Amino acid sequence: MSAPALSLRGLHKSFGATSILRDVSLDIPAGTRHAIIGPNGAGKSTLFHLITGRLRLDRGSVWLAGDDITGQSPHAIFRRGLARSFQVTSLFPRLSVFENLRIAGMRAAGCGHAFWRRIDGFRDLTARIEEMLALLDLGPRRDVAAGALAYAEQRALEIGLALVGGAHTILLDEPTAGMSRAETERAVALLRRLSAGRTLVMIEHDLSVVFDLADAITVLADGGVVASGPPEAVRGDARVRAAYLGAAAEVLT
Amino acid sequence: MPGETQLPASVSVRPARWSGRGAILSWGIAIVIALIAPHLMASGFGLSLLCRMAIAIVFALSFNMLLGQGGMLDFGHAVFFGLGGFATMHLLKLVDAGLVLPVVILPLAGALGGGLAALPAGWLATRREGTSFAMITLGIAELAVALVVMIPQWFGGEEGVSGDRSGGVALFGFDFGSALQIYYVLAAWAVIAAALMWGVTRTPLGRLGNAVRDNPLRVDFLGYDPARIRFLTFLLAGIFAGVAGGMQALNDEIMTVSNIGSAASGAVLLMTYIGGVGTFSGPVIGAVLVTLLQVALGTVTDAWQLYSGLIFIVMVLWAPGGISGIVQSHAPILRAGRGARLLGPYLALAPAMLLTLAGTVGLAELAYRLQAVRGGAKAGRLFGLTVTPTDPWQWLIPLALFILGAVLVHRLAPPARAAWQDAAAQTARGGA
Repeated sequence: MSAPALSLRGLHKSFGATSILRDVSLDIPAGTRHAIIGPNGAGKSTLFHLITGRLRLDRGSVWLAGDDITGQSPHAIFRRGLARSFQVTSLFPRLSVFENLRIAGMRAAGCGHAFWRRIDGFRDLTARIEEMLALLDLGPRRDVAAGALAYAEQRALEIGLALVGGAHTILLDEPTAGMSRAETERAVALLRRLSAGRTLVMIEHDLSVVFDLADAITVLADGGVVASGPPEAVRGDARVRAAYLGAAAEVLT
Repeated sequence: MPGETQLPASVSVRPARWSGRGAILSWGIAIVIALIAPHLMASGFGLSLLCRMAIAIVFALSFNMLLGQGGMLDFGHAVFFGLGGFATMHLLKLVDAGLVLPVVILPLAGALGGGLAALPAGWLATRREGTSFAMITLGIAELAVALVVMIPQWFGGEEGVSGDRSGGVALFGFDFGSALQIYYVLAAWAVIAAALMWGVTRTPLGRLGNAVRDNPLRVDFLGYDPARIRFLTFLLAGIFAGVAGGMQALNDEIMTVSNIGSAASGAVLLMTYIGGVGTFSGPVIGAVLVTLLQVALGTVTDAWQLYSGLIFIVMVLWAPGGISGIVQSHAPILRAGRGARLLGPYLALAPAMLLTLAGTVGLAELAYRLQAVRGGAKAGRLFGLTVTPTDPWQWLIPLALFILGAVLVHRLAPPARAAWQDAAAQTARGGA
């Protein structure tokens, strides 16, 4: 048995007296697509921040491909193969779309901190970025500053930054938020294609995306795991319906 | 939030192919200007002005590695300039004492001095970003000045350290004593240093610096430590500031504590900002213009510092992109042939601005000379009129000019701005 891509063991987090996450444990097998759903305030984004080193854990441990990464810095965790996107778009607004993607691909291309080598000399990196531009449908916007893009284009670029670096595990925080139906469908196709052979964990509100893409679903409510398993099992779970789905239950049947 | 920053739709970055040819052309022009300038301004005054420009260009470019490219506001950049200068000065004294070393390469000692000083300073300052970073550099600047005053054996106390650049062994018959010879040495250093700094912008570290400026948090999640990128950038900026200091040491043949102090740090900030932090050429433009302004204004009026302060405030308020920013925001419009539409509104605005300027100058001169006249000096003349600052009625004329000009600018600026926005938007649409 190979180690799970991501393993969370007894995570606890509180801000002051407010407990945000309580004893969250989860194993995500390598090569699967995993969705995390739950009502607002369930602690989903906080969970991502804890995994990626943005916030410090109070208790518990995080394991990436069998290694303990608890307490490591975000850049150290990225170098071990974990990339993420953000719920609130986080780009380099004054750099071109191409440069945004190239920054994201540098670490994997072995650029280091070199100040004696031309960046254009890394031809494999350039080729990889051009390919990603085409996949994201951002080819015509290649030289436009990221801050000047339309919202949906920024969201696509946000996903692109997480995917282009060659990480084996990718965390996406609401990748399709604010996208139209057509844009969402394109994003789902892109994610399906680019997550092949990798592990994908995503927070998602759009249940059609979740059931379309995910091999497994974890429902988070009020800081704890309510249910976790294959989509059919979660769909039928009475506690899930009670805790979260409620009004949206008809979508599931 | 960085991701939500709104930029006009016209913002686009030039494709690499175009900038490649444009860059070669720009560098060619710059080198030709550097070569022929001393023959157009052959007077001793002209040559010393050109030497100061060459030094200022390198200093301002090194400052912009931090401010424009790395998003770091360094209030103590003259520390590295000054310590580089002192290092060069000490080596020059060794050369004077018989050490066989060509004087031409002495700014390398400046690079070493600036770099060594930037190591501990950067290690401290680059752990933070934004305001905290700026505050730490301010503290470092104070610390450096205190150290320099405390150790007169190294820094010469009040008199500073001086040497003789022609005291070494002559190289191919050149002893660099003459103004023309030292100009070419400084110009060569300026071109080499500028080319190297331009090169750095096109490397992984250069691009990562831009990324850290825009959004350090995201850089952290892409596998790079933002603090480390800031540190390396800071180190390079210190090294190049040291080169500029070494050039200064060769030019002036003396370094004093004032070369390290806050006035020198303020001057480089002023130049860089007025030229424009958003482009590579901005600091070059700023260094040339501000050096010229300091000298030219200095010969016309004693109140020149007042004016450079005013210019700085006006730029920060209304042209934060500096001169190169103004050029950049108009170049695509002019290239698309839409410049004619701007002519009317801009021409209407010009007299209003001139009125305001005349009023400002009148008030500034009156204020400045009031003190002098009370001290018993002659007031002199301004715009062909005898100035009597003690006469309250004389204050009314510039005041009226200023108010009238300001009201007119206030009314005429919005249409001019709207015309520009229109033209820019149309150019962006037409060009897409």
